[in-house]
Amino acid sequence: MLLGKKATRYAIALFLIVSLNFFIPRSMPGDPLTNLLGEDIMLTASSVQELRERMGLDRPLSQQFLDYWHDILRFDLGYSFHLHRNVSDLIYDRMKWTLLLSLPAMVMGAILGTLLGARAGWKSSALRRTQTGFIMAIYCAPPYFLSLIALYLLSYKLCLFPLKGFYSTGSALDIAHHLFLPSAMMALFSLSRNYMIMKGSVLQEKGSLYATFARAKGLYDEQILFRHVFKNALLPIITLLALDFGFIFSGALFIEIVFSMNGMGSLIYDALLSRDYPVLQGSFLIITIMVVSANLLADLLYSYLDPRVRWQ
Amino acid sequence: MAGINPGSGPCALSECLRGDERDVRGMERECERTYHRFYNGILSRKASIIGLVLFLSFLLAAIFSPFISPCDPWDRFEPYLPPDQDHILGTNDLGQDILSELIYGSRVSLIVGFGAALMATIIGSSIGLLAGYFKGMADEILMGITDIFLMIPQIPLIIVLAAFLRPSFWLIALLMGSLWWTSTARVVRSKALQIREMGYVQSKRSLGFSHLHIIVSDVLPNLSQVVMPKFLLSIASAMIAESSISFLGLGDPSMKSWGMMINFAFSRGGFINGYWWWYMAPGLCITIFVLSIVLLGSFLEERDESIMEQQ
Repeated sequence: MLLGKKATRYAIALFLIVSLNFFIPRSMPGDPLTNLLGEDIMLTASSVQELRERMGLDRPLSQQFLDYWHDILRFDLGYSFHLHRNVSDLIYDRMKWTLLLSLPAMVMGAILGTLLGARAGWKSSALRRTQTGFIMAIYCAPPYFLSLIALYLLSYKLCLFPLKGFYSTGSALDIAHHLFLPSAMMALFSLSRNYMIMKGSVLQEKGSLYATFARAKGLYDEQILFRHVFKNALLPIITLLALDFGFIFSGALFIEIVFSMNGMGSLIYDALLSRDYPVLQGSFLIITIMVVSANLLADLLYSYLDPRVRWQ
Repeated sequence: MAGINPGSGPCALSECLRGDERDVRGMERECERTYHRFYNGILSRKASIIGLVLFLSFLLAAIFSPFISPCDPWDRFEPYLPPDQDHILGTNDLGQDILSELIYGSRVSLIVGFGAALMATIIGSSIGLLAGYFKGMADEILMGITDIFLMIPQIPLIIVLAAFLRPSFWLIALLMGSLWWTSTARVVRSKALQIREMGYVQSKRSLGFSHLHIIVSDVLPNLSQVVMPKFLLSIASAMIAESSISFLGLGDPSMKSWGMMINFAFSRGGFINGYWWWYMAPGLCITIFVLSIVLLGSFLEERDESIMEQQ
């Protein structure tokens, strides 16, 4: 029964958000045709008429709505008149690069963040307090700002890394060289969040009875932490990581802009600058689907990992 | 609190901001636990007081900006001056004094932050309160709505809407406020569920007081301890989000917020030419302000816990 209720909520959410995508361009001020095609496109009167018919804008709204869903189910996200390509092809091309950038970063951030955070929560020392302060400052900074500083110092002043892009020659080593700094920045941010949560989580678990019992039976400190406390403290992080998965394409938005990398993020940014609405909407749709499925994943994962939730 | 930092890495914009409840959606017991987990013992009292001082000084700077700023932020002097005696933080491409821009910018940034947070808190608290207090059908419906709102990718939605509307700051604050109430609603609901079972509420109910009276005089005052830290964090996240949206060039160019200043520095070559004073100052201001809010939030949190213990 609980599962049914949840499934309905997901279905409703997905339906509403995708429908929102239909209504936004049609309800915004201005001509819906402009809103659907993007601005700064020169059109003659006859082609306007033709496009209006082809896009179905002369039909009743209900019919348009059905057509819209029909297109989506066929993965047809429209056509970008700026880039002269299908939106779905554009997004597909960019996705791979973004994945290459953000996946390693997320994994690194998750591993380092939880390990460091767990240690910091377990035992406090002057060094760890400094570390916490440092990580907290990162956590509070706008990501694009820190990336700008890193780019300026490491790439521009010290010439350690390339200034922009994913590759210049295309060899694996070259790509790795280009990816290192942006990935590291992204990993740093994900680390800082995971660190903070994990630290608090370990602090809370530390006082629980099973930890005391483990100590009483003579386990070493490290063993108590990593054999017993760690697993329980990890629960909130795991859900968060599952949710991160929903933002795997859009999460790198600012990093991609700062490092001028041609991924999903800069696709969105360029679409914003040129008011290329089909691309903007197509990306929003993909993000939405990712986010809703990540939520589902998080729910399933959590109920699998935490029996208290499963048995409710 | 899963993350105030929107836009960073995988924890995309505000999504992670609301994380504290979101990560354990549908599991009320866990909700509050995670929430406390963030703050618990992370910071010493001294750090919290530093946070308070910083927060107040930003607030004062925003209120009294005409009196403390050395000149009008729109006055023009020689462009690209590095920091010196006349212009402590230098000037930008139009020759405007960066310190004055910064001080006036705190007004815009704080108004957006406070506005959005206030709205989110009011909506979130009312929904959470009604759901938690009345339980049953109201709870089902309201929490269903909250669940659906939780799933909206908010920053992408704001970006899409802002692209269509070319918004003013008010609109951005309004959009953020109307999307960000979900985590507050969850926390308030679980608190309200506890409070409604308390002896004093039960006895008032059996004495025949109206629901409205009980809510206003008994439930609301007790909610303040969960609402207040939430409110502060909403300010922080709204400010980061506002600066991020401004950085994307979707802000209001006639209003100089901190995010707008960084956007100008980035888009008008302040970065390529190495005019570090142009973007460092606003970036640091955002960071320090958000930091001060996190520290202050932990202060409130500690105080509430000690009050609870005393009771």
